[in-house]
Amino acid sequence: MKRALLLIGRLLLAGIFLYAGYAKLREPWANFAGSLFTLKLLPDDALEPIAKTLPWCEVALGVALLSGVWLRWFALIASLMLLLFLSVLTRSYVMGIAADCGCFGSGEVLGPMTLVRDSVMLLLGLAVTIGAFRMSSSGRHYA
Amino acid sequence: MRCLLLLAPVLLLSAQTPASAPVHKKGPPERKPSAMVQNYKETGSPSASIVIEEYADYECPHCAVTYRDLLPQIINEYVKTGKARLLHRDFPLPMHQFARQAAMLADAAGELGFYEVASAQIFKTQAEWSQNGNIEIQLAKVLPPGDMQKVREMVKSNPRLEESISKDVAMGQNVDRIEQTPTLVIVKNGVRQPIAPIPPFPVLKSFIDQTLAKK
Repeated sequence: MKRALLLIGRLLLAGIFLYAGYAKLREPWANFAGSLFTLKLLPDDALEPIAKTLPWCEVALGVALLSGVWLRWFALIASLMLLLFLSVLTRSYVMGIAADCGCFGSGEVLGPMTLVRDSVMLLLGLAVTIGAFRMSSSGRHYA
Repeated sequence: MRCLLLLAPVLLLSAQTPASAPVHKKGPPERKPSAMVQNYKETGSPSASIVIEEYADYECPHCAVTYRDLLPQIINEYVKTGKARLLHRDFPLPMHQFARQAAMLADAAGELGFYEVASAQIFKTQAEWSQNGNIEIQLAKVLPPGDMQKVREMVKSNPRLEESISKDVAMGQNVDRIEQTPTLVIVKNGVRQPIAPIPPFPVLKSFIDQTLAKK
């Protein structure tokens, strides 16, 4: 049962990262740079390199999660990334910045539902991470 | 390809117009020759390798900032140098009650050769007329009285203005999938790349330069 849940969680997490990366890559990179700009957090110089590399990192992480190899570590990286995204978005929301989330491509205005959705994704990431570590410590391999 | 086909009427209507920045000049408003009446929304060389289309809503605060701060940089860097043509597209959002009227007035002024003067004034005074809808009062400050009267009459009786705006809106909704204003669409070889939110100019410049470098 636990093994099945871990498998489902891992596939969901992989799907989220693959779709997030794909949604950004199908648009011009300048769109994601524009979304990052609206967060009012990064220096202008950082916008282009991040806009060009982050979507590929998301795709790579999605593929890694899909494969199940080194699941503990990739799930941990995914959870840390989700924690980072949620922190940045929460900061912008609390500051009253009318930001574009850019999470799954441009056009999503940052709002309470964005934060709820990202919190759920973070919980999923943490659950998969904890599950993978427990499974590993109990002598079983990844799901 | 579908983009190229839909854009074809616009391209066919276009003719060479001198590049100009949306800056506010003192003295009498500059009128463009009436022969250019069809393409008053467009500036730049027809042989430019890319077209930068800007979807804007006259009542949108971000559009006013883009008009004031970003477009002059785009014009100086790309339009005046012959690298790009700039095309304005009206995209009045339903939530802005005076945006369509503002677009009609700007377009009417454009048919008389005063498009840039009118656009600049409408954006410049946005904070005032967006409270009460008195756009004509603001426009009358920069247009000669006789032309202002013609603009009023055209808005009332010229269906071409409404059609022009509706065409832009249809283009935005059906082809470019515009979800917000302002949106820039960088067009090269028929490939349309909508950009929104718009990044700061140095980042946008990098993107446009990369697009220009592509064959």
